[in-house]
Amino acid sequence: MISRKSFNGAALAGLLCMGVSLPLYAADTASSKEYAGQTITVMLPPWGTLPKNMVDRFQLDTGIKINMQTLGWDEIRAKVITSLVAGISPADVVEVDWSWVGQFGAAGWFTPLDKIIGREILSDTPSSKIFQYKGQTLAVPYNNDFRLMIVNKAHLSKAGIIKMPKTMDQLLIDARALKASGASKYPIALPLSATEGTATAWYLLTKAYGGELFDDNFRPQFASENSPGHKALQFIQQAVKEGLIDPAATGMTDVQVQDAFKGGQYSIDLAGWPGNLSTYNDKTKSKIAGSATAALMPSSTGSSRSFGLVEGLGIPQKSKNKGAASEFIKWWMRVENQVEVYEVLSDLPTRNSALKVLIQQNKLNDGEVLLEQIKGVTPLFASGSPEWYPELSREASAAINQMAKGQLTVNEVAKQIADKTEKAMKK
Amino acid sequence: MLNRSMSGRQRKSKQSEAQLGLLLALPIALVMILLVFFPVCVTMWDSLHRVDPMRSGTPFIGLQHYWELFEDQSVRTAAFNTSAYVLFTVVLETTFGVLVALLLDYINVGRKWLLGIIILPWALPPIVNALIWLWIYNPNNGVLNNFLLSSGLIDERHIWMNDRSTALILISLVHVWRMMPLTAVIILAALQSIPKELYEAADLDGASIWRKFKNITLPLISGALAIALTQSTLFAFNLFDEAWVLSGASQDTRTVLIQVYMSAFQDMHFSYGMALSVVVMFVSLSVSLFYVLKIYRETRFD
Repeated sequence: MISRKSFNGAALAGLLCMGVSLPLYAADTASSKEYAGQTITVMLPPWGTLPKNMVDRFQLDTGIKINMQTLGWDEIRAKVITSLVAGISPADVVEVDWSWVGQFGAAGWFTPLDKIIGREILSDTPSSKIFQYKGQTLAVPYNNDFRLMIVNKAHLSKAGIIKMPKTMDQLLIDARALKASGASKYPIALPLSATEGTATAWYLLTKAYGGELFDDNFRPQFASENSPGHKALQFIQQAVKEGLIDPAATGMTDVQVQDAFKGGQYSIDLAGWPGNLSTYNDKTKSKIAGSATAALMPSSTGSSRSFGLVEGLGIPQKSKNKGAASEFIKWWMRVENQVEVYEVLSDLPTRNSALKVLIQQNKLNDGEVLLEQIKGVTPLFASGSPEWYPELSREASAAINQMAKGQLTVNEVAKQIADKTEKAMKK
Repeated sequence: MLNRSMSGRQRKSKQSEAQLGLLLALPIALVMILLVFFPVCVTMWDSLHRVDPMRSGTPFIGLQHYWELFEDQSVRTAAFNTSAYVLFTVVLETTFGVLVALLLDYINVGRKWLLGIIILPWALPPIVNALIWLWIYNPNNGVLNNFLLSSGLIDERHIWMNDRSTALILISLVHVWRMMPLTAVIILAALQSIPKELYEAADLDGASIWRKFKNITLPLISGALAIALTQSTLFAFNLFDEAWVLSGASQDTRTVLIQVYMSAFQDMHFSYGMALSVVVMFVSLSVSLFYVLKIYRETRFD
């Protein structure tokens, strides 16, 4: 049996093989007090809102005051767009999701950060490439989000399941067993409302079936019945029809589905967030504490695949405190701060140096699984998210929502998404 | 109005009264121009151009967006949903608004308190109303399912928003619950201005309740009814909060205004969203104009 320490050592070696450089956090420079006395506004979702002790420490280190504003992820985008169209900055540092890069880059709304943040930090942060638009880095990733499967071990034990499902077919078999055992009425937790979480779940399942949504020329690859994207839709429809997914999920967002999972209602969080592992196992926040464990995404190809949904920190061009804002970002990207953010907010660090520290200190929840899954994480769009991605996402989630309600067939959904995407590309 | 029989002093007095009236109306006229007419004109002008932050320039494209709107399946679906909302809500708000107004007019004791309770849904912010009903309609622990289950009317919890027709009706009901009090208040004001002697005379003639309502009440509240119908229709065309909170961007309940929001602020095709909002404006104004002209013609007593 491999010990955790030696496995982590092997994992570290694996990271090295992938081109990770060492130990860069020693090169982090002390914070500058050049902008002391200024106040910046930082607008982030709940999982990006720093606790008071970290805010106070930043102020002590730099002399810069922070006004933290927390908004839901969906609301932040609307706020950013309406403010920037009106020519004002919504905040000095704002959330920039991977999926917004194409649109915001084309609109020229964000300050390029390559020279501001520095090559050392960016080269230690592989996912920063996702935030490049025409060669410029528009945001620096702070949350190394991707998707993996999280299961309730207690439920699986009750159903007599001793091994994690490795294939999509096995997943369905195990879900049926869970339902039959009474462990959960609806074993699979998957959002099906007309929201982003539904669309990203479909992307993940497409990867699980071994495919991509688009080819290199952005031609849809999910319209034909044997395509992975089509199979992913069939999986969702079948799971809903068999009662393996809660029919009420048509009105639930991904966060609501996660709440139900940690309330013990479901057994498998199929499109789980790695950052949720600590929350699921926190007795003060979860009814399944001690039972939630990460598992590799099932795959039809033999190697587990997932995709990255990285979130970044960006500085709008209209910000009047760009210098102070850049200090905040550089401060956040310090290795010790990324480690602390993981401990308090469960945001997986984006710097390889910070990941290394967590591994060495055995602080990574289900670290072996996370590191293994990370190897199979690829971006949804190899060349960056296109400008029409929000339309694709919305049309995909709306069509899947209708399919889950029994209003559309799988073929109709695939065709609808493909047609609307092609139309969006032409606009 | 000035006429030749007035003395010079009277004419001067009338003129200064008119000038004073114009001066007093000037602030609101300026506000209307700046906050209503100017933005409408800018929107209409921009809808004839391509206004898209992701692309440089704003070239003139004429009616291209308007043609695209009619070909857009999402817009057609949203238009159908909005038409359904308008039909359901206007009929229900007007019917129940008149009934409630008649009841309030009939009651003498406790009318103020009852009116206060009835107005409460209208006084709350639309988002708050919608969130309350979101909880009521919740399939797992909502009041509606719990009540129907405990009374034996259903065997298992129902997912109310999974059926398109049910979802449209339920969202309409939330809107009616919020807006019906306004209709009731408008009609009540008209009812209270009807001379009681008319009803007394009708009683002496042996008229039935329905006859009195048809020949006295209805004609004399028709002006207020036109106003109530107009505001009901306009608010129904602009339905957003209830549909968004209860069902999000779901295609089967999406309204035209939600489509405008998504086109402009999610897809960042601003001029396309503007074109759609212009179409909505003209359609809703046309329907309102129909009410006013139709009812005005039927109720003149000259």
